[in-house]
This record gives sequence, C-alpha cells and structure tokens, in this order.
Amino acid sequence: MGVKQKAAAKPKGNAAEEVEETLQAVVLADTFETRFEPFTLDKPRCLLPLANTPLIEYTLEFLANAGVEEIFLYGGAHSDQLEKYINASKWRAPSSPFKQLNFLKSTSTSVGDVMRDLDGKHLITGDFILVSGDVISNLPIESALAKHRARREADKNAIMTMVLREAGRNHRTKSSSISPVFVIDPTKDRCIHYEEIDHHVEEHPARLNIDSEIILSHAELDIRQDLIDCSIDICTPDVLSLWSDSFDYQTPRKHFLFGVLKDYELNGKTLHTHIIKDNYAARVRSLKAYDAVSKDIISRWTYPLCPDTNLLPGHQYDLRKGSLYQEPGVTLARSCVIGRRTVIGQGISIGDRTTVHSTVLGRNCKIGRNVKLEGAYIWDDVVIGDGSDVRGAIIADGVVVGKDCRIASGALLSYGVKLADGVTVEGGMRITKSRRDGTAAPSDSAVVGEGGEGYEFVPGDEDDEDEDDASDASSGLVYRMPNLSLSSASISTLSSDVSDGSWPRSGGSSVSGDEEEDHFQQDASTSVYDSLRDGVTVDVVQLELVSLRMAANASDNQVRRAVVSAFMKHIQQLMEGGKGAGDAVHEVFSKYRDVIDRTLFDRNKDDKPDQVDLLLVLQQDLVHRLKGDTVLLFAAKELYEIELVDEEAYDQWWHDERSSGSDEMRSVRTQTQQFVDWLANAEEESSEDDESDDE
Amino acid sequence: MPSTSSALTPGLASFLKSLKTNAIDTSIENLISLLKRRQIRHSRSCATATAYLLLRVISACRTSDSAKLIERVQSVGRRLVAAQPREMVVGNIVRRVLGLIRDEAEDDREAEYALSEAGSESQPHTPRAFDDPSLPLDRDALSVRPEGSERAARSPLTSMFSLLSHPEPEASLPSTPGSLSPSGRLPGHGPAKDVRAEVLEGIGEIIDELGQVDDQIAAYALDHIHSNEIILTHTSSTTVQKFLLKAAAKRKFTVIHAESYPNNHETTHITVSGNASKDDEILSTESFQKPLIDLGITVILIPDSAVFALMSRVNKVILGTHSVLANGGLVAAAGTRVIARAAKVHQTPMVVVSGVYKLSPVYPFDFDSLIEYGDAGKVLPYEDGDLVDQIDVQNPLYDYVPAELVDLYITNLGGHAPSYLYRIVSDHYRKEDISF
Repeated sequence: MGVKQKAAAKPKGNAAEEVEETLQAVVLADTFETRFEPFTLDKPRCLLPLANTPLIEYTLEFLANAGVEEIFLYGGAHSDQLEKYINASKWRAPSSPFKQLNFLKSTSTSVGDVMRDLDGKHLITGDFILVSGDVISNLPIESALAKHRARREADKNAIMTMVLREAGRNHRTKSSSISPVFVIDPTKDRCIHYEEIDHHVEEHPARLNIDSEIILSHAELDIRQDLIDCSIDICTPDVLSLWSDSFDYQTPRKHFLFGVLKDYELNGKTLHTHIIKDNYAARVRSLKAYDAVSKDIISRWTYPLCPDTNLLPGHQYDLRKGSLYQEPGVTLARSCVIGRRTVIGQGISIGDRTTVHSTVLGRNCKIGRNVKLEGAYIWDDVVIGDGSDVRGAIIADGVVVGKDCRIASGALLSYGVKLADGVTVEGGMRITKSRRDGTAAPSDSAVVGEGGEGYEFVPGDEDDEDEDDASDASSGLVYRMPNLSLSSASISTLSSDVSDGSWPRSGGSSVSGDEEEDHFQQDASTSVYDSLRDGVTVDVVQLELVSLRMAANASDNQVRRAVVSAFMKHIQQLMEGGKGAGDAVHEVFSKYRDVIDRTLFDRNKDDKPDQVDLLLVLQQDLVHRLKGDTVLLFAAKELYEIELVDEEAYDQWWHDERSSGSDEMRSVRTQTQQFVDWLANAEEESSEDDESDDE
Repeated sequence: MPSTSSALTPGLASFLKSLKTNAIDTSIENLISLLKRRQIRHSRSCATATAYLLLRVISACRTSDSAKLIERVQSVGRRLVAAQPREMVVGNIVRRVLGLIRDEAEDDREAEYALSEAGSESQPHTPRAFDDPSLPLDRDALSVRPEGSERAARSPLTSMFSLLSHPEPEASLPSTPGSLSPSGRLPGHGPAKDVRAEVLEGIGEIIDELGQVDDQIAAYALDHIHSNEIILTHTSSTTVQKFLLKAAAKRKFTVIHAESYPNNHETTHITVSGNASKDDEILSTESFQKPLIDLGITVILIPDSAVFALMSRVNKVILGTHSVLANGGLVAAAGTRVIARAAKVHQTPMVVVSGVYKLSPVYPFDFDSLIEYGDAGKVLPYEDGDLVDQIDVQNPLYDYVPAELVDLYITNLGGHAPSYLYRIVSDHYRKEDISF
C-alpha cells in the first residue's frame, strides 16, 4: 500500500533527492528518569547489560538494521563512560554501518531540552528516527518509513509517525500502572488524542477526556489501550521546531504528543501511528520491563537479536536445548543442575548441587555449592557463597555474596556491594555503595552484616509520579519500583530559583499569571542564551527579546531577570571552556551592551531603581553559580566601565536591604566590597574635582 | 523503486554493491554483521556473498605466496563461519577456495619439480616460457566442461601425488637454480603470481556455478518426472521450482505443495500463485518466472498437517534443502523430516535436489547444534500476553533428516545415492581443509 503510494507520488516529486537522502537517527541515551537507581549511580543506563549485552547495542543494531546512516547520540548522566564505550565499540570502526556517529553532549535535564538543543544545532537535514537508547526491536522500518514519506509528500503537516506494537490486555512488557491511550482515526492512521491513564489514582476511576468535537468530526475512531509504546518515532525536522516553540514540554509523550494534539487547531500539524502486529519492539523503561525483555530475548521473541547472535565481538554464545545459552570456558560441577532459559557467560564456575533456573549469569562469576538461583540477573564478576539462595534479584558487577545468604525477589545489589555470611536481604531492598552525589557511603552493618560493604539506598522522594509500583504483585517479579522522577530543573535555572526566593512580584499574583511569567522568563532566557552562544548580533537578540516581551506583556524586571540569567549562563560556560572570569565577563558584556542598556530607563534620574534592580538580579543569580562572587566583582566593574550602571546605583544597591538579606547574598558580594569601596573613594574625589571646577 | 529499497535495507544487493568501493576489512566486517543480523540468509545468497568476498580478499592480497594466501583465506573464513555457523555453505565456499589455492600451488610445484628434474640447470628461463602459456590454455579448455567431472577425475590423482611428493619439492625448491643464479628470482616469483590469477579465475568459476546450478539440475528433470505423476514438494525453493518447470514444459503432472507454516508459508503462497511482490530484490530473478499453473500444471496447496494423509497418493517427493551433510543426511526447512518419515512409511521415493555447493564435509555429530531456532512470535502471537508469560515457545527453522530417509540426491553432477555423497565430498574438498 505504502509502496504503491510512494511509487505514485514519486514521478511528480523529486525522485532523485529522495533516493540520496541519508536516513538520520537521534538516540536519547539518557531518558532523564531514575528508575534504574541505584545502578545508574555508577553507570549510564544504556550500558546496563541486558542478557549480557549492553542495552545500547540493541538499539544501534536496530538502527543498523533499518539502514540508518547518521546517528546523533545524546548522552546524559555519565556521558563520559558512554562516550568511551562507544569510541571503543565496533560502531566507530571503519566497518560500521553508520557513516557518522556523533556523540553530542548537553547539559539537558529532560528530553525536551535535548530536542531544543538539537534544533539549535541545525544538524538534522531530513526525516529522522527518534529512539531512546533502550529500544529493542527487530522491526524492519522501511514500511513505516515509506508510509511516513508518502503522507508527508501528500501533506506537509504530517510531521511524525509513531511506531506502536500491538499487544494484548495484559502483557509483561507493558507498563502496568500507567497505560497510554491512543485515540486513532483508522482511516488515516492519524492519532487524534493521547492520554495516560494512571491506574493508581483511587479517588476517581480511570477516565478519558475526549473533546466532543473529535467525536463529531470523525466517522470512525479507535480508542486503544492495548499498544506497547516503544518510542520509535519517525519525525520530520518540523517536530524539532515544535519542541522549540513550546518550552514547557519535557517528555515526548505526556507533554509533546498531548500538547501538539491539543493544539491541532493552532498549528495544524498531524501525528500518525504505525501499528505493527508482527515484529518485536519494546523499551526497557523500568526494572519490570527489564525482566520482561530479558525473558523475551532468551525465549527468542526478539530473533535475531538473541544471545547466540553474539552482537558484541568476543561473545561466543551457543544455543543448547531448552533455551540454554552458553559460552565456552564454563566450569560446571557434575552434580549441578542447569535449567531452562539460562544464559551462562565465559569463565563461570558453578559448584556441586547448585541449581540454576531462568537466570542470566555474566562472565567470570563464581557460584558456590548448594546455591539456588532462580529468575536472577547476575552481571559480571559476581561471587556467590555456598548455600545461598537468590531469587528474582539483580546483582551488579563485582558483588560478593557470602555463605548462606538469602536474597529475596526484587532485591537490587549495586556495584561492588559485599554481603557477609548469613545475611538476609528483603524483597525490594536496594543496596549500594555509592551515593547520589558520587561519594562513597559508610557501610551499614545492619543491612550487609559484619564486614560487608554497602548501605540501603532509599529511592528519591518524588513519590507522586510513581510508576509500576508494588501493587502489581501478580507479575512474577515484584520490584519496588523506583520513581519516575522527572527532574523539574529546566534550562533556565534562574527562573525557578528566583521565583522560589522572596522576590517582590511585579505582575499579578494569580496562578496563571505566575505561570505566564515563568514561561516568558524561560523563553526569553533560552532565546537570549542561544543567541549568545551562536554569536548572533545585538540587533537580532534585541528584536527577539522585544517580540517575546510584547507577546507575554512582561515587566521590565522580568526582562532583566531573563537577560541576566542568560548572560550569566553563557559566562559560566565560557569559564568552563577555560576562560578567565574577567575575560568572559568583558567579552559578553561589551559585545551585548545594548541588550542591557535597553532594559534600563533611569539614566537621567537621581533615583536609580532599574539599575539597582539589575544589580540585585545579578547578585541573586550568581548566588547559585560557581565562583559567583568573582563573577559578580568583574560584572560590577564591567558594568561601570561600559557606563551602564552609575556610581549612585552601586551605592543604593549596596545599601539596599535586599542585597544583604540573607547569608548567601552577603557571601556572594563579599568580593565586590573592594570595588564599592574604591568607587566610593573615586566618587568623593570626582565630586571634589567637580567642586573645584565650579570654583 | 528497487534503488530506494536497496539503499534502505542492507542485504545481499547492497553488500555486493559496497564490495567494490569499501576497504577489504570493512567488507569482511560488513558481511559478518549481515550474516549475524540474518539480512543475508538463503544458502545461495550466503554462498554468493562469500565467493565475491573471497574474490576481493585474494585480489587485494599483495603476497603471491600460496601459503600466505591460504592463511589469509583461512582467517577470513574462520570469522565468517563463526558469525553464522549454521549457514554451512559459507564454510563450503571457503573450503572450495582453499582447495583451489592448494591445487594451483601443487600444480606449479609439480610442474617446476618435473622440469627441474628433467630440464638442464643452465636455462631457468625456458621452463617458465614453456609453462606460462600452457597452463592457462589448459585451464581454459577445462573450464568449458562442467567442472565437477573434471575435478572428480583429477583431484584424487593430485592428492595421491601430494601425499608422496609433498615434502620433496618443498625441500628441493630452495636448491633449484632460483637461489643460485641472479635471474632465479623470476622462476621463484613467476609461478606464485600465477597462482593468484588462477585462483581468482577458479573463484569466478565457482560464482558461475552458483548462477547456473539450478539450470544444470533442472536438466535432469525429465529423467525423474513422468507424465501423470503426483509430486509432493514443500516450502519455496528456486531449485525445486525450476526443476518442476523444466519438466512441466514437456509433461503433465500434478504438484501438491505443502506450505511450511509458519516460517515460509508466505513465500510458498507467492511461489504457487505467482504473485511475487516486486520489492523482494534478492529473488528478483524468480519474479520473472511464470508459476507452474500458467503451464497448465495442477498445483494443490496444502497445510503441512495434511502431508501424511495425502502421501499414499503421491508418486514422488521432491524437496529442496538448506545444506547436505557428508553422511547423506540433510538440514532443510522445518517440516521436511515429517514429510520424509511419511514418505518412508508409504514407500514413496524421496528425491532431494541440491547444488553441490550445499554439500558440506561436516559430519553431524550433534544434530541439535545444526538447527537454528527462529522467532517464537511466528508460532504464537506476541499479543497473547498471558500465554507468552507462561509458555516456552520454540520455532526451529530447520529439520535434520537422516540419510536413510532419502532415496536419491540430484545435484548439478547428476543423481547420487546418499551413500555415495562421501565420494563427492572428497572430490570437492581437500582433507586438510575440512576443519580449517
């Protein structure tokens, strides 16, 4: 069908161009969630092994299968590790199927930021595939791609095609607590409405709000809850600009999809679905999905992406009877029992009378005697002592489990944890050695026993967005689910920080007003920041700022805040790039002097509220930045030298109670003390001079 | 249209295209990953890709020393076989090429040895001048003939010879005029360079053979298919299809076609109905073919389960195969063994058509390791979440059929009993290459 359409569309279209178009893909290696804590404290999520192969391998394999030639890989947390891994992998070798594999670093904290960053970089030339770095799929993408292209050919506004896998009502790879609902017009494969239903909200039963207009205007509607959303999206570059237009979008589905569909009247863009029935596609979105997808891989639903395909060079898995994958170089005691659905890596030794069932064992593990392993995921170099019992747990690299330990279902032991003999680990407990901030934590002998190493890790406190929590006890493995904690920090750190502070609001105090303000500040600050980074001329920056300000009806104070936030952020970045604080400040301020100048309207008055305000905003912003005190000193000096701020303003600022309101504020301005003193002296001198002149 | 699809999905066509431009190591890695990802999967595609790759490997090999060539081909071959050990044709082609190199090397040594024995030591140039034109001439004459029969006659002789003379010429080579006279570099260098050209030519012949094998097999069709017979076949195989078509041109018979659900039923349906989809670029040559029904043959498509019930009416079973093993057993599409058993029970003759390139010198000690397990989703729909959770689904792509269930093999060399296959194996592969 799609093929025919395409063939029909081609003669009038630009056939030659279409053939030459290289297929690009964007891989989001970090999904900005914390569901895999505590493992993700030490390693990026996409390097966690799934059936002994890092997750990212499956995704790249899928893209190679699809014939993608250029890849942009966005690393998030631990991106240095990921980069190192990718650089050493076969994907960087000359034989790689990808002509380009670009590793992009960004300071993003959400998918939305990544997309906006990507839009700013102008790297995407044509249609691209957007996947997250944990997709496992054997789907040949060409039919979806052909349909997408045919649609785009017919209608420029068809900007995105989502690939969805049909699955029954209950399925192990589906998320059990939040289910996405797609409302689709089956005649055009168009997605009309999207909503996520949270099954845990007890107060009101699951409810879907569909606009009556949708029902009236479509002859046929499918409301589907049986789809696995594997987050494989085929997008046109317009998608990026939509992301850029809406600064509050953070997640690709809940915000972006929902928002774009809701604003259909406004932007006229249509989003489409491609529902597959045959091939495998899933995402390892949570630990429950980790378990489910591992099972799928072992029982060959993902064929040919199975352990015996040996995706990694050096792997030598071999399929034996009963879905047993084994590498050469394994030492098995004669009386041990290896059951079905098991993966055994190289260098493993298993002791007498040990039984292993449905378990994945990484390389070089030492399993003692009389051990029972069932449904466990044991990564590399793990030692398990005699007589221990491990069920349905994930045990990371280098863990040592003592003798006669009991590890219940759903327990997570992170890198390097040591359990003493006879320790019992309750189900759902997470034990780790490292903390969120990367430092080593003291061991808690109540948890790991005498001589053990590690402490119980309590997942983040964002309980409100809990997904897949313990209520789905019906699934074989019970994981006390880590919380979906989307970081709320956005690109403009100032906006949130400042609005949290005791800042006198000039706008209306209603909730909607606040929101609008925040939006303006975010928008403006991001826009100015982007312009600074790209080195756009002053006029352009000014123009953008004015238009944004007009649109949001923002106050002067807000404009100043946005501008200062952007300036400081850029300066910060320059300093990280190795520039001295003075140089960075001078460079930015002297180049973009006019931008600040236009926010000050009190040049010829005695009272200088605007200039004082500017300095206060500056001070406030620098409280949270690295070397804020130094930057403040240089900025103050620079502002004086380029004649933006007058001496009087400095004086008024210094004595303003808001500027010395808190300890933080005071500490950040300590260094500036010398400048103010110097200024005061100079002022006296100059006033003396003035007087003498008068005489 | 085909240009876009081949640009999009990597496969045999895109591999062959990239082979010319890419560096040799890139091509090797490329083929390995294609094999691993199962983007090249049929026996013939694998064989063709391997042959072309080895052609590139040898022509890129700057050394003209046969030992080094052998070493290089062996190392490449090992990697290819490790990538997909169940595609046995890859190993077969590698062994054939290794055999070629050894033959050429020995021929040259032999010639030189004989000459240096007979000829005078004073004129090292003349033997070259005599040897150079004569050898290609000889080869040309040979290559016209079907090469298997020629090999069958020649190779035991050479191997017998090599058994005895192997150490001798090697020892005598350094002491021949080569090392004495300054002009001796030429005879040392000349034949080795020749080896490479000969081997390249030999690989070209293998590639030709891969292209012609179906037609050669089909030439025997009229000997085996008679009027008004009822023939049972299974799954879609170009070889079988051509075989039947050839017979259908002259005779009227009935074909019962088992569909081989779930892995290959779609292609089978296409083969039967002739509605080949155009986007299947690998099988593009077949899509030009008319289906049997156009020639007035009755074709009955049946589910695999009906095979036993219908077997009593069948006169002959004709099957294609994935690969043939040295003991006469074969590895073929899943469902073949059931058909073979049913044929045995009903004493129906079972004929297997297969190119010689599928014949592997591997002896099947462990049948299970030869069988590839495919996508479980084809057996049980993945949507059925409750079942997926609780059931272990296995979907073997191939069956092992023991030799005693097969009555006749038809290769491009003619018909053979299963017990005779060892002989063809020893004609085609050198003993030292069996486990290279």
